[in-house]
Amino acid sequence: MRNLTRDEAVWRFVGYSFVLLVTLLMIVPIYWIVVASTLPEQVFLSGGSDLQLLPGTNFLANLDALQAREGVDFIGSIWNSVFIAVVYTLLSLVLCSMGGFAFAKYDFRFKEPIFYSILATLTLPIQLLVIPLFLLISQMGLTNSYWAIILPWAANPLGIFLMRQNMKQIPDALLESARIDGATEFQLYYRIALPTMKSSLAALAIVLFLFQWNLFLFPLVVLEQGKYTIPVAINELVGAQRVYYDQIMVAAALSIIPLFLVFLFLQRHFVSGILAGSVKE
Amino acid sequence: MARINLDTVRKEFSDDGRTIVAVEDLDLTIRDGEFLVLVGPSGCGKTTTLRSVAGLEEVTSGTITFGEADVTDLRARDRDVAMVFQNYALYPHMNVGRNIGFGLRLSTDFDSDEIDQRVQDAAEMLGIEDLLGKKPKALSGGQQQRVALGRAIVRDPEVFLMDEPLSNLDAKLRAQMRTELQELQHELDVTTVYVTHDQTEAMAMGDRIAIMDDGELQQVGTAEAVYRSPANEFVANFIGSPSINLLTATVEGDRLTGPGGFSYRLADPAPVAGYDRVRAGIRPEDMTLVEDGIEAAVTVVEQMGNENFCYMELGDVDLTARIDASLRPSPDEVVEFGFEETALYLFDPETGESLKTMTDETDVSIQDYVTQAE
Repeated sequence: MRNLTRDEAVWRFVGYSFVLLVTLLMIVPIYWIVVASTLPEQVFLSGGSDLQLLPGTNFLANLDALQAREGVDFIGSIWNSVFIAVVYTLLSLVLCSMGGFAFAKYDFRFKEPIFYSILATLTLPIQLLVIPLFLLISQMGLTNSYWAIILPWAANPLGIFLMRQNMKQIPDALLESARIDGATEFQLYYRIALPTMKSSLAALAIVLFLFQWNLFLFPLVVLEQGKYTIPVAINELVGAQRVYYDQIMVAAALSIIPLFLVFLFLQRHFVSGILAGSVKE
Repeated sequence: MARINLDTVRKEFSDDGRTIVAVEDLDLTIRDGEFLVLVGPSGCGKTTTLRSVAGLEEVTSGTITFGEADVTDLRARDRDVAMVFQNYALYPHMNVGRNIGFGLRLSTDFDSDEIDQRVQDAAEMLGIEDLLGKKPKALSGGQQQRVALGRAIVRDPEVFLMDEPLSNLDAKLRAQMRTELQELQHELDVTTVYVTHDQTEAMAMGDRIAIMDDGELQQVGTAEAVYRSPANEFVANFIGSPSINLLTATVEGDRLTGPGGFSYRLADPAPVAGYDRVRAGIRPEDMTLVEDGIEAAVTVVEQMGNENFCYMELGDVDLTARIDASLRPSPDEVVEFGFEETALYLFDPETGESLKTMTDETDVSIQDYVTQAE
């Protein structure tokens, strides 16, 4: 490698410093949650010179308090969240990739207006949708079921948009070649488009999982005790008389773990250049 | 194997409300087992024609038949054709073996041993049996090309379609693959339609050549026929390299006069009877440097080793002559050239139709040609 010039070295230093700063800003709250979950409430709530920055030994005690909590089944809510997020992610990946494939590779009447209408729904805030969605879900008899929060966003507009953008990169010749080889249109999607879009699908899976994991308002409205997801369950920890910060911190720390696992599992699929070698430029 | 018949095939595209005719009422029959080359400048409709035969484009009107079967409304996958694309279009996530076997897996009910055997056979035919486990991106351009060919031949289709399959290879490999492809086609005896913009490739490979321009078929014939007896000025100009010299001449009785003092007396003025102007053409190899010929100023001489290309100006017309390697006129030198009337082409100035093409003997026996030892 050649030596950097002075200017380049300075810019590189500035660049790395900036990246480091942003990383710290991201990590500090997570670190604080993890540390706080291991400390007794009165310790981490005290400020000034008593501020505790290293993990303590109170984690299990906090966890016991959380589990002993009347009316909140936190461990159950983790399972609810995991089940909903996994089913949602899989279903949504299928629907978004099919939608994206159609918008990227087929011509049909009103294609553009339909696509932009779908995209436009991204601007609608969830608060606006809660009441109509609730009516819809209750008419379908799905209130207080997992499907109530899986179905409404299953065809995710952001997901359709991302898949459309990525699938546009699939060369038309690749699909035509498969058509001539005898593939049906569904086989084009299943055997050519999906395998070549693996890394985009992995990235989208994280976006979708995270989106579902963090949904709060609609689950709060539509779910009842026992079906609660993590955000709703954490909300229940805020009592009428008092906020149980120690329990909230344990719950928050635990809720991060599945996200980590999902990311670790998917990141090996983030490889670039799957399409390389398909067509000669 | 099948005879392909295109009957008044028309293909229109609409672009922002305007209608563009890509292929205009094309009639063409490709014989069983024939190697037909579709050639023409870019945008002439040759690729659209090929894609219509493949079933990748729906024709606006007309019918396409393979043998006795009307395939006009059949989808590509039901037509039993194999196609090699210009950019190969290999499936990037499958290894070479699976790429080649993909079509068999989808469209036949062979068991996997049978498929593996056929893939192996096709790979051996093309000399790529060592590459079966590799992914396309690990291959060189020439190897990718062979995989694309393997994918086509393994299916033993009725019809081979090739869309400029050699244009991404370097010159040496292209020449080698040209011969290999011809041998392969000969061996398999499958009706083949081959699209190219390169007239040399077309002349070298095709049993017959179909020349297209602006969506219309200009002429179909053997290499010799389209070279010696072009149907019109476009064909004469497109076929042959360097291309034919063309100029507009005024007809006065049996005399043609043109730019820069061009003057020629026709021994047989019958073809130009009734015309006051014609387009005259002489191929560069028929131009000879002579004494008492037509004067022209040399601009550039390109030395090819075995011969020289001599570029000249005659009035406002540029001319090219293929001359002997030992002749090296210098730039700005004025030379005189002549040609035989048998080598003269004449075209209608309005329609471009041929009035006269080459008329010299072609059936010369080698006995007469070789100088006998004393």
